[in-house]
Amino acid sequence: MATLSVATPLKCRDSIFSTRFAGGRAPLTPSPKTPRAQVVPQDAGVQTESIHHGNVNLMSRFSRSVSKTNVRDSPKSNIAGRPSRDSPRRLDLGISDFTLTGTGSRPSTASSAKNTPSRSRSGRAGSVHRTPKRPLSKVNYTAADRFIPNRTASEAISTSGAAVKLDNTEQTPGRRPKSSAPSDGSAVLAASAASAFDFGRPHSSSHDATATLSFEGLSLSDRNEDDDEDAPKTKASPNTVAYQQSVAEACGVSIKQRILAFKPAAPESSRPIDLRSQYNRPLKPAAASASQFRRRVLTAPERVLDAPGLVDDYYLNLLDWSSGNQVAIGLERNVYVWSAESGTVASLLECPADTYISSVKWSGDGAYVAAGLGTGEVQIWDVEDGTKLRSMYGHDTRVSVMGWNKHILSTGARSGLVYNHDVRIAQHKIAELVSHTSEVCGLEWRADGSQLATGGNDNLVSIWDARQLNAPKFQKTNHKAAIKALAWCPWQSNLLATGGGSHDRHIHFWNTTSGARVNSIDTGSQVTSLRWSLAYKELVSSSGFPDNSLSIWSYPTLVKNIEIPAHESRVLHSALSPDGQMLATAAADESLKFWKVFEKKAGMANLAGAGSAASTKGLTKATTIR
Amino acid sequence: MPSAMPPPSASDKADKSKTHKLALKGSSKTVVEFFDYACNTILFQRGVYPPEDFTTVKKYGLNMMTSCDDQVKAYIKKIMSQLSRWMQKAKISKLVIVVTSKETGEHVERWQFDVNVFQDPSKQTRSTTSGDKENSTPPQQQQQQPSPVSAKSDDDVQKEIQALFRQITASVTMLPMLDGNCTFNVLVYADADSEVPLEWGDSDAKEIRNAESVKLRSFSTNSHRIDTVVSYRLAD
Repeated sequence: MATLSVATPLKCRDSIFSTRFAGGRAPLTPSPKTPRAQVVPQDAGVQTESIHHGNVNLMSRFSRSVSKTNVRDSPKSNIAGRPSRDSPRRLDLGISDFTLTGTGSRPSTASSAKNTPSRSRSGRAGSVHRTPKRPLSKVNYTAADRFIPNRTASEAISTSGAAVKLDNTEQTPGRRPKSSAPSDGSAVLAASAASAFDFGRPHSSSHDATATLSFEGLSLSDRNEDDDEDAPKTKASPNTVAYQQSVAEACGVSIKQRILAFKPAAPESSRPIDLRSQYNRPLKPAAASASQFRRRVLTAPERVLDAPGLVDDYYLNLLDWSSGNQVAIGLERNVYVWSAESGTVASLLECPADTYISSVKWSGDGAYVAAGLGTGEVQIWDVEDGTKLRSMYGHDTRVSVMGWNKHILSTGARSGLVYNHDVRIAQHKIAELVSHTSEVCGLEWRADGSQLATGGNDNLVSIWDARQLNAPKFQKTNHKAAIKALAWCPWQSNLLATGGGSHDRHIHFWNTTSGARVNSIDTGSQVTSLRWSLAYKELVSSSGFPDNSLSIWSYPTLVKNIEIPAHESRVLHSALSPDGQMLATAAADESLKFWKVFEKKAGMANLAGAGSAASTKGLTKATTIR
Repeated sequence: MPSAMPPPSASDKADKSKTHKLALKGSSKTVVEFFDYACNTILFQRGVYPPEDFTTVKKYGLNMMTSCDDQVKAYIKKIMSQLSRWMQKAKISKLVIVVTSKETGEHVERWQFDVNVFQDPSKQTRSTTSGDKENSTPPQQQQQQPSPVSAKSDDDVQKEIQALFRQITASVTMLPMLDGNCTFNVLVYADADSEVPLEWGDSDAKEIRNAESVKLRSFSTNSHRIDTVVSYRLAD
């Protein structure tokens, strides 16, 4: 990964075996491209490829460094850059603007303006006496059309209908000079009256429909009357009004109204509801609180350090954080130790020129570092003295992963073999774990040392019983790519999380007592590491292409709480600080970043949510012993 | 005298009709919003949909439950958008939410909201006052007259709505227990001349047989008054 900084000489990728600090940059110094950049008010267009870019250069005088990632991907800048029309309030305003301007023709107000105040607006049944109305140009033909199919039904009762018709036509000639439309209207009226009589009977639902329909017809004729009345300026005969009123009253229906139902059926409810449980529901439903009161996570790195020469190899394990609060990282041929307390950095060891560091692991007590080499050699160093204690041979391929269980060091190699070494004795190799057929890249001891999980490039997860190492207890073939990310749950000792590579992208959760898979997440990208939180029921996964992000998942809900765009290229390694609050990530962009992803609230104990006091105690004890 | 009067009154009328128009729009918006929340509240309180489908939203100074189920949300939104169209033309006289048992198809509960649209205030005042007060300082007169009608502040309206929602929520204690296997329908009493979109069709009133009704609170805006009645089936 060539750095784009102009200040330092370009480093060649093929100089893995060169001795100098890669690229002339001192390792683990604050990165020139690292930030506090949240405050930098940069427009998104400025891509700060070079630190000499005016804006950034200026800023770097104030803050120690400026990160490209943050300028581009900071969630804050996302928010600022987002067009504010997304805001619901804004949308609301838009609607009201529209309604104010979009006034159509208002026939109803026009007509209501013509009403005398005496006319009651609510339309009691049969309040039909009105002053002349302006004719509505659009008489409801649609309503008439609706009516027609139903008329045949109501014509069945013909006798009473005929009588009404007679009655009605008796009155019309006086008021209606033109006859075509009104006669149609009266026919409608007649038919509707016919069914209206029928409707006089107590409710029978099939007739209800026809009744309301025909009353719509009735009101149509009423409207027609109004049209006609406008011309001759005569009032409707009181007989007609009285008649219509009586009919309407008999049916208990207002003439000017129709009852409309929203026809589509309401969506099905997912299950029957017991109202009893609802009446004494808790004030805050659990699900709602989970989604609404999600923990806030800092999305900016606390600190960014340069990691020049970090080998971009998924299968290696080059980063570890000790219980003594020191970070060890393998950069090409060197192992550096950065003290988190003092911020000082020291080169611990440099391996021969013909090989490179392939894995780094702190012992549990934080006093020793084991370094695996490309040749298969494993060295153990005393960090305090800076001296090598011993070298252990046995593997003939690179040692890509290691794990301590007290005095036992397990080493996984490219050959697929896992050896257990007792580091105290001369004949150090005490077990050979044969299960993988391809490179072992993930290896994790359970905190109590009774189980060991290994993952390999053969897409296999093996779970071993510490007392029975001749064959794995379980072999899991669910992953479809190499498994590097393995993590034991701190509050449930038999829960193991494993994450697969680019073709798999899944995190699987296993019950290691029964061997059952209990949960799965499709993360959408290569899972390069997994860490459980000690304080929250959450785990963080780091990912490669396409997002190069950190994702925090709640367990067991498997809800993604947040995704932090972390690095410019894939995140290769991660390590959790001894107090469990901070996560260190090393990525192929040759930077080492520290994230306060599990920030503790004041007065919060580790595993606050775990509930099991025993396991809490056990864990705090474990961290102090280590 | 009549010749002197028309100019101010005509211009005033134009003003009044404008303010009235705006008031009706704004008021319709308030009312439709109320219906939206009322619908959600009833669906929640009466257990038409499971409680986990609802989230709380602060509104009217209360924690209102609104559905977060996409289908239900879309369904209610569709109803409300049409309703607001009708409301703005003052075509609606009632909105009814009918809760129906899925098993028997019987209507078990009927929430009726009567919409009363106030008369054009300028119209009203003019017709009543024109007789004797024509001579007395027209400008002040006309400004003062509508004020008692439109004096209601937004705050007061919100408070009335809040009180009504409290009552709706409280009414679950007196309403009969529903079996939790119910669906709902929305009815609208519209003027006969209103435009009706395809989704809406004529219906019967979906009255409940052997029903008992309880009148709840009312609230009013500057141009609407909403009366609430809940009717429910008496226990057999």
